Amino acid sequence: MSAAGDVARMLTMVPWLLERPGASLAEIAEAFGVSASRVRADLGHLDFCGLPGLGGGDLFEVGIVGDRVLLRMADELKRPLRPTPREALRLVVTVDAVAEALGEELPTLRSAVDRIRAALDIPERSADVLEPDGVRTLPLLRRAVREHRQVALEYQGRADTTPAPRVVDPWALHVLDGTWYLQGHDHGVGDRRVFRLDRVAAARITDTAATVPAPTHLDPPRYVPGPEDVAVVLTLSPRGRWVQDAVVADEVVERPDGGATLCLRTDALGFVAQLVLMAGGEAVVREPSGLRSLVRQRAEQALQRATGTA
Amino acid sequence: MAEKVERLVNLTIALLESPGAMSLEELRRRTRYYTEGSAMSSRRMFERDKDELRRLGVPIETVTLPYSDELGYTIRRRSYELPDVELTGEEVAALALAVRLTGAEDTPLALAKLAARAPDPVPIELPGDTRVEVSPEPIDAVADAVVGRTTVTFTYRAADGTVATRTVDPYGVVQRRAAWYLVGRDHTRDALRAFRLDRMTDGPVPVGDPGAFDPPDDLDVAAAVSGPALPGVEVTLAVAPEARWSVEVRGGRDTGRTHGGWPVLTLDELHPVRDRAWVLGLGAAVAVLGPEQLQADVRAGLEAVLAAHRGDTAPQATQPDAGHSEGQP
Repeated sequence: MSAAGDVARMLTMVPWLLERPGASLAEIAEAFGVSASRVRADLGHLDFCGLPGLGGGDLFEVGIVGDRVLLRMADELKRPLRPTPREALRLVVTVDAVAEALGEELPTLRSAVDRIRAALDIPERSADVLEPDGVRTLPLLRRAVREHRQVALEYQGRADTTPAPRVVDPWALHVLDGTWYLQGHDHGVGDRRVFRLDRVAAARITDTAATVPAPTHLDPPRYVPGPEDVAVVLTLSPRGRWVQDAVVADEVVERPDGGATLCLRTDALGFVAQLVLMAGGEAVVREPSGLRSLVRQRAEQALQRATGTA
Repeated sequence: MAEKVERLVNLTIALLESPGAMSLEELRRRTRYYTEGSAMSSRRMFERDKDELRRLGVPIETVTLPYSDELGYTIRRRSYELPDVELTGEEVAALALAVRLTGAEDTPLALAKLAARAPDPVPIELPGDTRVEVSPEPIDAVADAVVGRTTVTFTYRAADGTVATRTVDPYGVVQRRAAWYLVGRDHTRDALRAFRLDRMTDGPVPVGDPGAFDPPDDLDVAAAVSGPALPGVEVTLAVAPEARWSVEVRGGRDTGRTHGGWPVLTLDELHPVRDRAWVLGLGAAVAVLGPEQLQADVRAGLEAVLAAHRGDTAPQATQPDAGHSEGQP
C-alpha cells in the first residue's frame, strides 16, 4: 500500500479512535477494511505523530492493552479530513445505485443517501443514478429468491426468436450497470445461467422448492466469448456509431468518413442481426455471409409486412 | 517509509495548528523536518510532501507572507474538517451494506470519514440476495470539475459520428443503463447537453477557475440524458403474439382491436430516434399502423438495410447508405 494511502487512512483513524476509546483491533480493521496487522503498523506510526519541538511532550499517546486500543492527546485531528471530490462522487453514486436497485427493500438507505448528499454537498443534480428499467417480474422474482422456490420463466434469450419455457432455481438478482439480471440453476440445461430480466416475457413461482444451492461465491454476470462464437465484421457509418456502444468489440478501426469498422465475436447472430436492422442502413454486415443473408431475409419479411399495411 | 508516513501526518498537524501561515523556515523549526542536505534538496522534499498531501485532499494553501516576499503555508481548519454528519446507527449500517452489495473489497475511505464520528452500525439484515455493480471509475475524470464548478474542454465523438472540441460547464454526472453521462451547458450551442463519458476522446481539461458557474436549480439531469420525447404522439402497432410481451414491457397497452389477426397495441410517447430504431429491430413481428411518419421512416429504414445487404459479400467500396437515421443519443 502506498504511503499516501496510509496517511489518508491514519488521518481518518485518529478521529475514529478518539470517538471510540477501547475499540478492539478487529473492530478497527473492519471499519477501515484492512488487516489487524496493518492497523498495528498504523498505530505504531501514530505513536510518533503529534507536534514535536516545543518541549517534546506533545506526541499522541497510543496505548494497546490486549487487543484494546486507547488513543489520547490527539485532539489536533479530532475531526476527519473532508472527502475529495472523487471520493465523494464515487460514494454517492455507488450508494445511490444500490438505493435505486433495492427500492423499498431497505428504506433506511434512502435517508442515508440524503444525509451524505447534504454532508458532501453533492445534490441530486450533480450526481445521479437513474433507476434500472422498470421490470414487471422483479417483485415476484425477489420473493422466489427469498423463499428458495423454483420459478417457471418464458424467456427469450439473445439467440432466440421467440420466448421459450425455462425452469430455474433462482439464486440472486443483480443490477449490472443499470440492467437487472437473475442468476440461477437452469434445470433444462443442467447448469448455471444468467437471465436478463427485460427478456423475461412471463414468470411464475412454482410450488417446488429450489434444489440446487447457489455457489458460495457468485460472480456478477459477464459475457465471456466462448469457442463456438462466430466472428462478425460490421461497418458503421458516422450515424451508426451508436451500434458500437451496444456490443463488446474486439477491434474498432476508424474510417476516414468518421465511421468505423467493428470486429466482434458473438454466440447470438440473431441479436447482431437485430442491431443491424435497428440501425436502418447505417450498419452493414461484411462477414459472415450467413449473417448478411439473415439480415436480408428479416428486412424483406419486415418490408413485406410494412408494405402490406400501408 | 515509516518516517515518511509520520512526516506527512506531522506536517498536516503543524499546518493545522499554526495560527497563521508559516514559511518553510518556520516549518523547519516547528517540525524539525526538511533540515538535512542542501537548502535546495530539502525544499524539493517539502514540495513533494505538500503536493502529495494536496492530492489526498489536504487543503494546503500557499500565501505570500506579510512584510516579506517569502511564501507561507497554512491549512484552514474549516476547509480541512468534515462537519459532523447526522447519521443514525441504522443509516451507517445501511451504507456499509450498500457498499458490500457492490462487491467492493475495501470500505471506501469516504464512508469511514463520514462515519468516523457517527454511531456504530447496528446489525441489519437484507432479505433475499441482490448485488449491484456500479463501475464509477469513469466519473473520476470529471469529478473535480463537477464539484469545483470548473468549465472544461474535451474532444467528443457525437452519436452522428462528428468529432469536435466542446467547451462545457459540467453540472453533473448521471448513469443511465450501462453508460455514464456528463450533463452541462455547451458553450457553443448555449444549451443543455448530455455527453457520454466513453465518447470523450481527449480530455476533459479544466479551463478557467473553479466556481465559474452555478448549475440551474431546476436542472433535471434525468431528462437531459433521456432526450426529448414527443408527448401526445400515439404509436399504434399490430403485434405478433410472440412479440407482444416485448411491446408491453415498453409500455404498450392493448386496444382490444385486432389487425390481420394480430392484437393492436398503442404506446403514448414517441422518442423520434430511439423508438424508430426499436420498431425496426422488431422486424416482421410488428406492423406500424400509425402515425404515417413512423410508417414511412420504418419502410425507408428497411429499404436501406436491404440495399446494403444484397448479395453474399458487401462490395468494399459501398458506403452505408446515409440519410435515414439520426443515430441514437
